[in-house]
Amino acid sequence: MGERIVVDAKGMACPGPITKLVKAYRKAKSGDIIEIYATDPGFKPDLEAWIKRTGNELVEISEEGGVIKAVIKVTAK
Amino acid sequence: MCGVEVFDSVKQLGNGEYLQFLTDTAERESMTKGLAVVMFSGEAEKFIPLGVLTSTAVNLGMPVRIFVTGFALPYFTKNKPEPRFSKEFEDMVPALMEGMKRLNLPTWYDMLKEAKEAGDVKVYVCSMMAEAMGLKKEDLDPIVDDVVGATYFMSNIEGYEVIFI
Repeated sequence: MGERIVVDAKGMACPGPITKLVKAYRKAKSGDIIEIYATDPGFKPDLEAWIKRTGNELVEISEEGGVIKAVIKVTAK
Repeated sequence: MCGVEVFDSVKQLGNGEYLQFLTDTAERESMTKGLAVVMFSGEAEKFIPLGVLTSTAVNLGMPVRIFVTGFALPYFTKNKPEPRFSKEFEDMVPALMEGMKRLNLPTWYDMLKEAKEAGDVKVYVCSMMAEAMGLKKEDLDPIVDDVVGATYFMSNIEGYEVIFI
């Protein structure tokens, strides 16, 4: 079982949330789960592009009250 | 991995896996190899996309090569002039500054510095412009990696997306 890493990028503007995600990703190991929260309106398409480029797995993405929650499984390491 | 090894491992794949392999390879190869930025302008607002695009490229795992020339060069020295915005859009500056402060955005310099720490980013100063402005290597900001000519820059960005700012 991998670790679960929670990243709070609420209030950050582009490219802040992705930069914060990448920081956590660098330290993560294969099998880890990154759970990230963001409010940037461009976060969803940005994250999907990052997932496509890096080949990691997007397990879940949802939005509630203007906060986007995404769960990523580290698979490309 | 060399071509023959790849071919041998591909031969062992089933039909579906082989198709997926081809799709993945095609997608990877159509991806941009890197980002090259020719930073010429000296207006303060033009440094925002420099910071944002550099940081984004690093987030996507792309190398970035920045060629600093023209009116941008003084902002890459130890003796930076005051930031100045375009006269044309002067009326928009207060709202922009206020919004950026509200969002707590890092400065272009901090974005560049952080991108350099996190990824493969090189900042080159144009040797011709440095000469023209009478700048020596020791006058340049530590963020600068080297003083090079256009030939060196161009021969090191093969296959990169080039942006002129």
